[in-house]
Amino acid sequence: MKLKKSLILTFIICSIGLITWESYWRSQGKIADLDDNKDLWALQRAKVENLSKNGVLLMGSSRVLFDFQLNEWQTETGIRPIQLASAGASPLPIFHDIVNNTGFKGTVLVGVTPGLFFSTTYPEAGPWKRAQRRVDYFENRTYAQRINHYLSMPLQNNLALVSTSEEGWADDIDLKSLLNNFNSGTRTGKPQLPPFNAFSYIDQDRNNPMREKTATDTIFANSIKAVWKFIIMGNKNPPEKEATTNFFVADAKKFMKRGGNLILVRCPSSGWIKQGEDKFLSRIDFWDPLVKATNAKAYYFEDYDKFKNLECPEWSHLSAEDARFFTTELVKIMKADGVLSNSKTN
Amino acid sequence: MLFNSLSFVVFLVIVLALYYSKLFKWTNKKRMLLLASYVFYGLWNPPLVILLWISTAVDWTAGKKLALEENEKKRKFWLLLSMCVNLGFLGFFKYGNFLLDNFTSLMNSFGIEYQAQPMDIILPMGISFYTFQTMSYTIDMYKKRIEPAKTFLDFALYVTFFPQLVAGPIVRAKDLITQFYEEKKATTNQFIWGLFLFTIGLFQKVVMADTLLSDTSDTVFGSDKLLHGVDAWIGTLAFSGQIFFDFAGYSTCAIGIALMLGIILPDNFRYPYASLGFSDLWSRWHISLSSWLKDYLYIPLGGNRHGITRMYVALMLTMLLGGLWHGAAWTFLVWGGLHGTYLLLEKLQKQYLPFKITKWNGIFLAFITFSCVNITWVFFRAREFETAWNMIKSMFYMQTDGEKILGSFDIIKVSVVIGILFLCHWIMRNTSMKALSLKTSPWVLGVIWAIMFFLIVIAQGSGEQFIYFQF
Repeated sequence: MKLKKSLILTFIICSIGLITWESYWRSQGKIADLDDNKDLWALQRAKVENLSKNGVLLMGSSRVLFDFQLNEWQTETGIRPIQLASAGASPLPIFHDIVNNTGFKGTVLVGVTPGLFFSTTYPEAGPWKRAQRRVDYFENRTYAQRINHYLSMPLQNNLALVSTSEEGWADDIDLKSLLNNFNSGTRTGKPQLPPFNAFSYIDQDRNNPMREKTATDTIFANSIKAVWKFIIMGNKNPPEKEATTNFFVADAKKFMKRGGNLILVRCPSSGWIKQGEDKFLSRIDFWDPLVKATNAKAYYFEDYDKFKNLECPEWSHLSAEDARFFTTELVKIMKADGVLSNSKTN
Repeated sequence: MLFNSLSFVVFLVIVLALYYSKLFKWTNKKRMLLLASYVFYGLWNPPLVILLWISTAVDWTAGKKLALEENEKKRKFWLLLSMCVNLGFLGFFKYGNFLLDNFTSLMNSFGIEYQAQPMDIILPMGISFYTFQTMSYTIDMYKKRIEPAKTFLDFALYVTFFPQLVAGPIVRAKDLITQFYEEKKATTNQFIWGLFLFTIGLFQKVVMADTLLSDTSDTVFGSDKLLHGVDAWIGTLAFSGQIFFDFAGYSTCAIGIALMLGIILPDNFRYPYASLGFSDLWSRWHISLSSWLKDYLYIPLGGNRHGITRMYVALMLTMLLGGLWHGAAWTFLVWGGLHGTYLLLEKLQKQYLPFKITKWNGIFLAFITFSCVNITWVFFRAREFETAWNMIKSMFYMQTDGEKILGSFDIIKVSVVIGILFLCHWIMRNTSMKALSLKTSPWVLGVIWAIMFFLIVIAQGSGEQFIYFQF
């Protein structure tokens, strides 16, 4: 057997093949970036264990991920918050975890996206399960999984071809995602989710600005809007206002009782989504009773002239530029209110 | 640690570098391998390494005593001690919840109100594999079939050798311990062939099982609906391919990695989906388990030495327990029972309706065998009887209004993959990969190897666990 020859040939073909593959996808606009997966979330969650009273945790759904920019927050306060928000998920399981499984008594900012916050407390429902899975993963991850993630981050950051994502974006380029593009819904007769492409970047601290393309390319933004419409119109479950509010309030009281500083924020939305939220999850019926029951400091974007006209390119999240503005200005307001301290001046 | 993970690649490179460096003599190399094996296992759940240590210590002590002891009662005591500890571990960790659930159901069925506290027992990875491996040593020592391991280090390494620790092959002491007595070093050809086997194993796992088949199988078996017949069959075929590629992939990786260290592990699969009947199947599928069950269960139960009826009972019991070995659920028992029934029917056919297998009726027979195996996989994969029964009804078109949940592309993909898998097994059934590679030009082999490696890299995978780790 002349296996050496085979090995050398394998090495040459693979090198050429992989360089070509990487170059091709880069020429198509793909860039190397991190995946917002459970490992990345767990890295942030692990930091909570060592936080002092000055620490700040951000949690909520994707609006908190997009709309709060960590660099701006740090510039304003001297403290880099820990981003624990989870896209498409209810913040309740994560807040519950922090309140019940840690002794943290610093600041927790909870973003209230009405459709997700008031969605459910049923453990098997999507918005709950997505968040709970991350909490459970943090509790149960093995040392091997931690090492795998540490090793994968430099690859994710440097190679566009490393593209498997937990979310399963339509523009992922791993083999399974490429093959899935061949599937159509004609046989099952069921409507199919429109192509849902990644529309933000995330870094190791889970700082997550919107991709410029989302803000500048209307066709691309419209493709995301089509996904929101599909998901929202397909959701037949009514909100569970009472159950979610009671669940959250119980944790909120426990947290504040031990000295924690709780802040509620309603981030901007616009267009069709805002109209829907105003109609079916109105401020008067949902937000106001929640604020009253928790007795926490609360910020509703429409209460501020500088925020109420912010336009979300795809109706639900701020562009990177607007997110930087929103973060800076909201933090200034919170500092002025005495809700946030400034470690730079303290 | 999983073979299909970055941490394992780094781990393997470090182990190979240390193994082939001139830093250590053979004994220290073995110590390094043992330590590496504990790290390999402990990176999953460190405290559970203690179980490995207990199993190792008990069987080493029992083996040593059995080598010296002549008193039959005392010999039996040491054998029983080993069996109690190993089977006790299995019973507690693997079957504890199952037994408790069934006990609760039984009590409730008698009208006795009983609610057990959930035990939340973690199933230690690979416990069924290493307990069977250590038990085989003690049983062989009791039967005086083998010599005791020369040193504790050799024995501990035999129990813990990382390539086959968590999912086999279940290696017999005489085949592995003796390899540790003298320094082992792979030749260049062995090393490259080992690397090639490792690539094939990863290709089977990452590309074939996880990328091409697992989603279809998960979708079908995860559905709570009554399915259309095509969907039920495709889901079952997908699982059939998935479990083969997953498990054979693990075994091929294990054999390849061991070969890179100069250690030879036995084959665990020989193209099982081209089996001509069920005796043939069990000499080709998970060979190390079926031979273990034959030697340590079927033959001690009487085998074919006490007449036909007793043989049938022994066969059925072996298959039922073999089913239960795979998991603590009644569905696994049914899976084993179906295989037992197939084997009994085949023996009856051979006795009363013998026919000659030619190359013309062979492929038909292989196809029939493969189809029957698929029916058993339904019970193996389904978590509930209700799911399994719905699947069976759908597969035989007793559900005319079943729901279509698979896309056309999924159906084509699975049909093509399984069709090719079946034909490859048929073509390869009387040969081996090694023999085929000898006939293949190194350039062609290089191209095939490169394609497999390229596909592994672009498939990436999400580090899915091997199915057999849970057994």
